[in-house]
Amino acid sequence: MRNLIRLLAIFFFSMGTGCTKNWLEREPEQILTDQQLWTNPQLVKSVIADYYSRLPYHTDFEGPYNCGPAIVYCGWKDYASYDEAMWSGVSNFDFEFRNSLIDYPFSKWRLWNYDLIRDINLAIDQIEKVNSPKMTEAIKAEYIAELRYLRAFNYFELVKRMGGVPIITTQLIYDFEGDPSYLQQTRNSEEEVYLFIEAELNDIVNSLRNQSSKTRANKYTALALKSRAMLYAGSIARYNSLMPAPISLPKGEVGIPASRAAYFFESSLKASREIISSGAYQLYKNNPDPAQNFYEMISTKNNNKEVIMAVDYSVSQGKRHLFTLENIPRSLRKDVENVSGSSALSPSLNLVESFEYTDGSPGILKGVGTGSNTAEGQKSWIFYDKPEDIFKNKDPRLAGTILYPGSSFAGQALNLQAGVYVWNATAGKYDRVEGGLNTQYSDGGRLTGGDGPLHNENYVSSTGFYLKKYLDSSPGAETSAVRSEVWWIQFRLGEVYLNAAEAAFELGQADAVSYINTLRERAGFGAGSLASLSQERIRNERKVELAFEDHRVWDLKRWRIAHEVWDGTAGNPDANIFALFPYRIVRPGHADHGKYVFDKFKSTRNTRPRYFRFGNYYSEIPQSVLDNNPKIVRNPFH
Amino acid sequence: MKIQSLILGFFLLALCMACEKDNYAPPASQLKGSVVYNNQPIGLRSGGVQLELWQSGFALNRKIPVYINQDGSFSTALFDGTYKLTFVSGNGPWVVSKDTILLNVKGDTQVSVPVKPFFIPKEERISVQNGKVSASMTIERVDNLRTLQNVGLYVGTTAILDNINNKQKTEVTAATIGQTGGPVSLQVTLPASLSSRNYIFARLGIRVSGVNEMIFSPVVKLELK
Repeated sequence: MRNLIRLLAIFFFSMGTGCTKNWLEREPEQILTDQQLWTNPQLVKSVIADYYSRLPYHTDFEGPYNCGPAIVYCGWKDYASYDEAMWSGVSNFDFEFRNSLIDYPFSKWRLWNYDLIRDINLAIDQIEKVNSPKMTEAIKAEYIAELRYLRAFNYFELVKRMGGVPIITTQLIYDFEGDPSYLQQTRNSEEEVYLFIEAELNDIVNSLRNQSSKTRANKYTALALKSRAMLYAGSIARYNSLMPAPISLPKGEVGIPASRAAYFFESSLKASREIISSGAYQLYKNNPDPAQNFYEMISTKNNNKEVIMAVDYSVSQGKRHLFTLENIPRSLRKDVENVSGSSALSPSLNLVESFEYTDGSPGILKGVGTGSNTAEGQKSWIFYDKPEDIFKNKDPRLAGTILYPGSSFAGQALNLQAGVYVWNATAGKYDRVEGGLNTQYSDGGRLTGGDGPLHNENYVSSTGFYLKKYLDSSPGAETSAVRSEVWWIQFRLGEVYLNAAEAAFELGQADAVSYINTLRERAGFGAGSLASLSQERIRNERKVELAFEDHRVWDLKRWRIAHEVWDGTAGNPDANIFALFPYRIVRPGHADHGKYVFDKFKSTRNTRPRYFRFGNYYSEIPQSVLDNNPKIVRNPFH
Repeated sequence: MKIQSLILGFFLLALCMACEKDNYAPPASQLKGSVVYNNQPIGLRSGGVQLELWQSGFALNRKIPVYINQDGSFSTALFDGTYKLTFVSGNGPWVVSKDTILLNVKGDTQVSVPVKPFFIPKEERISVQNGKVSASMTIERVDNLRTLQNVGLYVGTTAILDNINNKQKTEVTAATIGQTGGPVSLQVTLPASLSSRNYIFARLGIRVSGVNEMIFSPVVKLELK
């Protein structure tokens, strides 16, 4: 009986459902079809948003948390791999390896993300052929222009890392006939890739909309990309050919002929001038204090007319980053429970000394000892009343970029003091005494400050400096519960001025100096602070203005001086990271008692000089790519 | 209980069987050799220059990198088989060679890899006196393709010594010594940290322009006391 009821139930159930129309032909509820997707402008916008988030960057705020030496993309942590900073966060080798990096692996910076290019090509194809009332010709043109901007941006990222790469502008579809060789493309020359980027940007510059958007590409974003890319191409053409043995491959896959330099510099200068003269963007001058103004120029989003394009974050929308938590000075850190953070990047003394004095003299700090703890090493000391006095009259951008002894952040004073020097009358010199964080010396005064610096300790500055640029001063930004929403700037007007100055200088045009002077005036130098320009001056200006903005390593590469600046030798001051430790003098009854002195020495935690080899100018193409496509030639030196 | 003993039985069975079936023996044949010019090994920076070994006939074609020691020797453990030894273009301080050397590895195998450097150091003499290391050598030009960039004298505390890994060095550019080669002498004054030691090491190096790696003379141990 029970069985019969069961059978009947099944029978009636199938009667009720089995004949429903299209029971087996329902619309999928979790997958969008091509038809649904490409006919709907809102959905296409989501697709494009996805592509924006997949663009490759180098030192942005993302990157895997644990990022060992074998991993190519690490995000902001790689600032500690160059000469702007060193690593002083957790000493786990997956982070600490940057302090003992023997050389840059050939795979560093490498990129071969044709998956994104394929997706962009597919989207362009689909949008071009879609026929739907909602997708009007105007909307289609706008989206296609935006997609082509993304593709040009991606090709620029590829060419600056790998040299010439295959230019693929259509979908490559396999016919399943067993012979994929027709899909195997050869590498285009480096020059062709740069010309492709230029042609694409020229083509779309007037079709892009998104006026005044800082997170989607508009006309000026395209021009800013062109300004940067063409400057890179021009300097590679010029400086590669000036090397004793230019880096090149037979078909120009890497290396651009010197004769093309002027063409690319002119193209860059034209784009820069168009942005500057348009008046659509202005240098940020909202705060009369130049140092604070320079800091706010990066971190303020309201009424910021300088920023052209940025990767934006928003706490309320849930898109946040941990950069502030990881880099907040030690004494200001709040999140001790979730100990992942504070003080990860210690800016180097090398960078601090690159900031000039406001009278235009070189920024070498005066009156520093050698740290050898001998009378000889203390001979050159100047006794400063307050620790910040040594930085007096420095370029105000220094205080906007770096926190040094005597600085404060978000209204809280830092306490940077490495120890004390006690007068030893018998030896005729001062004896160094150092302690742990927040310790007191026997005279009742401070021994070592709450922010260090310490030579070799997790989460304390190892150089005597902390990073300020990009640090978020809003409440809670240093906690993992809130995190930070400071944006990561891709293009800003300041860089465009520097691009214009460099291109004009390379072309021998007289107005080059005026671009730099405009920028220096904003920085806090007087009007017309430079009478003339030199190559060295432009390069130093880029180093200090654009510090921690993902420029340094790419600049050194395109100028072809990376192998000289970072030559891997222990005696080269540029290749080694230097520290500056402040000490208090203990000599009761003497005029110098209670004053401050500074020692400059090679960081003890950063043990290896930076070593950039010829083979690093172009990254190694992954072996899997070479296996799949025998037509791809390898880059030189590997 | 029955099930438990069954599981235990399977476990023991797996313990005995698994390791035999799944694993390969490690490569046992040693390939040893050195890069030579005129049958003389060439001095290099330790681990700076790489040769490549390829074995065709397998689905995945991946190179086996072989790094060369500072005395020009190298060694690697391989499976028996036929390998192709190739140079990385522009990596070593010698004329780029597209030649492939076919190797038949069967048991321990010796190989000499002939290269043609641009310059070689000859008649090197290194001595130490009164806290100064003096060295001289004759630079012999072997090939005209590249120009001389500089020569250097490197002093250090370890036997692994080169232009990167050293304690004290002196370098003279080609502008002062000329392109033709010939005799060169160099001097390094030892700082207190070196002169107070019992012994130090020194070697001479030659750099050609456009190549990262230098060519070196053998490392010499100098007794100070």
